[in-house]
Amino acid sequence: MTAAALPTGIWRREAVAELKRSWRLPQFLLPTVLTPAAFYALFTLAISRTPSPAVAAASLAGYGVFAAIGPALFGFGAGVAMEREQGLIELKRVSPLPADAFVAAKLVAALAATAAAIAIIYLAAILAGVRLSAGQWLLLIALHLASTLPFGLIGLGLGMRMSGKGAVAVANALFLGSAVLGGLWVPSTMLPGWMQAVGQFAPSYHLGQLARAIVGADTIGSPAVHLVVALAMTLAASGWAWTGWRRSPA
Amino acid sequence: MQDDLSAIATLAKVSKRLAGKPVLDGLTLKIRAGEVTALLGPNGAGKTTSVGLLTGRLQPDTGTVRLFGLDPTRPAARSRMGVMLQSAGLPDVMTVFELVTLQSGYYPNPRPVAETLAIAGLSDLAKRRCGALSGGQARRVHYRLAICGRPALLVLDEPTAALDRVSRQALWATVRAAADDGTAILLTTHDLAEADALADRVLVMDRGRIVADDSPAALRARAGGSVVRCRTMLPPALLLALPAVREAGPDGTDQRIITGDAVATVRALCSADPNLADLRIADAALEDAIAALLGPDRRIAA
Repeated sequence: MTAAALPTGIWRREAVAELKRSWRLPQFLLPTVLTPAAFYALFTLAISRTPSPAVAAASLAGYGVFAAIGPALFGFGAGVAMEREQGLIELKRVSPLPADAFVAAKLVAALAATAAAIAIIYLAAILAGVRLSAGQWLLLIALHLASTLPFGLIGLGLGMRMSGKGAVAVANALFLGSAVLGGLWVPSTMLPGWMQAVGQFAPSYHLGQLARAIVGADTIGSPAVHLVVALAMTLAASGWAWTGWRRSPA
Repeated sequence: MQDDLSAIATLAKVSKRLAGKPVLDGLTLKIRAGEVTALLGPNGAGKTTSVGLLTGRLQPDTGTVRLFGLDPTRPAARSRMGVMLQSAGLPDVMTVFELVTLQSGYYPNPRPVAETLAIAGLSDLAKRRCGALSGGQARRVHYRLAICGRPALLVLDEPTAALDRVSRQALWATVRAAADDGTAILLTTHDLAEADALADRVLVMDRGRIVADDSPAALRARAGGSVVRCRTMLPPALLLALPAVREAGPDGTDQRIITGDAVATVRALCSADPNLADLRIADAALEDAIAALLGPDRRIAA
C-alpha cells in the first residue's frame, strides 16, 4: 500500500491557528512580552539614571536573550503540559498532523511573542542612546530570536513529562535561574564564583556571551566556543524533547 | 495472516509493558475493512493500550503494529483514520468552525466543512467557541473531527460514556450510518448493550490477550440460553454441579447462573435449596456471555 500524501499548507495553517490561539489568550501572552521590557527599563535605564550607551548596549544584549526565554519556556513548557492535561495534545497526535508541524507552529507563536518583546526592548535602548550598525542589529535580532529554540525544546521536554502545575513551577525556576546564572541581568563577571561555575551549564550564559560579542561588550572566552556550546546544548535539548514526546502516550 | 488483505489494521504478537507492568502479552488483533469491531474487557485488560498503539501514540516492545500497511507513528498512516478519544479535549478559544476547518486540512481528501458540520446539525454551533460548549455538544464536535477526513477506519474510544440516553441513541444511529457506508469501525466500550447494538464482531480482551473473537449472536449462543438469578445459600461449587449449568457466581447479593436448560436447572435448584428466594429467569445477554468467558472475578465495570 502506498503512503497517502499529506496535503500541502498543513504547516502554514497550523502556525496561523497557533498564532490566533495565543492572541486570544492575552493573559498568557502579555506578561511574557512585557516583563522583560519592564525589567530592562527599570534596572538598566531607570536605576542608573543616565547609563553610558556602552552599558545600555551590553545590558540590551542580555535582556534580549531573557526576552526569548519567557515565551519559550512558558509557551512550550507550561503550555504543553496544560494542553496535555486537557487532552489537546492527544487530539493532535492521533490526527495525521506531523509532529514537526505541531512543534513548528508552537515555535512560530513563541517567536512572535519574542519578536514583540525584543522590539520593545530595542526601542527603549535606542531612546537611551544605544547606537549599533545595521549588521550588528541584524545579528542581534537573529541571535535573540534563535534563543527561543533551545529553551522551547527544553520546555517541550518538560511539558511532555510533567503535570501543568509542576511544569509552571519548574519553568519559573528555570526562567529566573537562567537569567541570573546566565549573567543576563548582572554580567557574569560580577557574579560570585560558584554562580559563574553553575552558569556554564545554562544555554543562556553562552547565548548572552554571544550577544555581548555582537554589541561589542567584553566577553568571557571566545565567541566561537560559545556558539559551539550553544548549538550542542540545543541538540541535547531536542533529544530531551523527542524522548519526552515518544515516551508519553498523550 | 500476512495474506489477509481485508485487514486494514493489525497488531501482530505485540507485547507492551507500561511502568514496568506487562499490559499486552503477545496480542494479535486484526481490524477488517467494512466491519464494526467492538473491543471489550475489564479495566486493565489492555484496550486503551491497544488503541494507543494503533493510533501511533505508543510503540510496541515486541511485535509489529500496522495501519493501512504502514507504521502508525507515521502521519501518512493516520491520514485514513479518524479517532474519537474519551480523554481528548477541545481548545477553548477556537470556534467550532475554525477547529473543524483546521482538522479537515490535515486530511488529503476531506469532506467540505459545511457538510461535516451539517451532519446531525452542528451548523448552528459553528461560530461558538469550544470553551462555551456543553459536554454533549463537545462530544458531537469530537465525532465530527473524527469523520471530517472521510476515514476508512473510525476508532471510537468509549464514544457514549457520560452521554444521556437520547444523545447515545443519536450517536448510535450516526455510527450505524457510517458503517453502512463501508467505514470500518473499532469501538472500545464498557457498555455491552452498545457492543450488541453496533458490532458485527466482538473481541473480548483480558489480561492483555484476546479471549474471544466472535459475533455478538455467536457469543450469546456460546454462553447458553438463559440466566437465572436468585438468592440462595448454596455455594457456587454446588451451583456449578446442577444440571446444564455453565457458569455460576455472585452478582451483588444474588447468585447468577448461566444455563443451557433453565427448566432443568431451576427444578434442581428448588429442590436443593428450600429457602430459595427472588428467582428470576432471563435470556442470556451479551453481558452474561462475557461474564462466562471471563469468570466471576473479572467483571466489566458498567
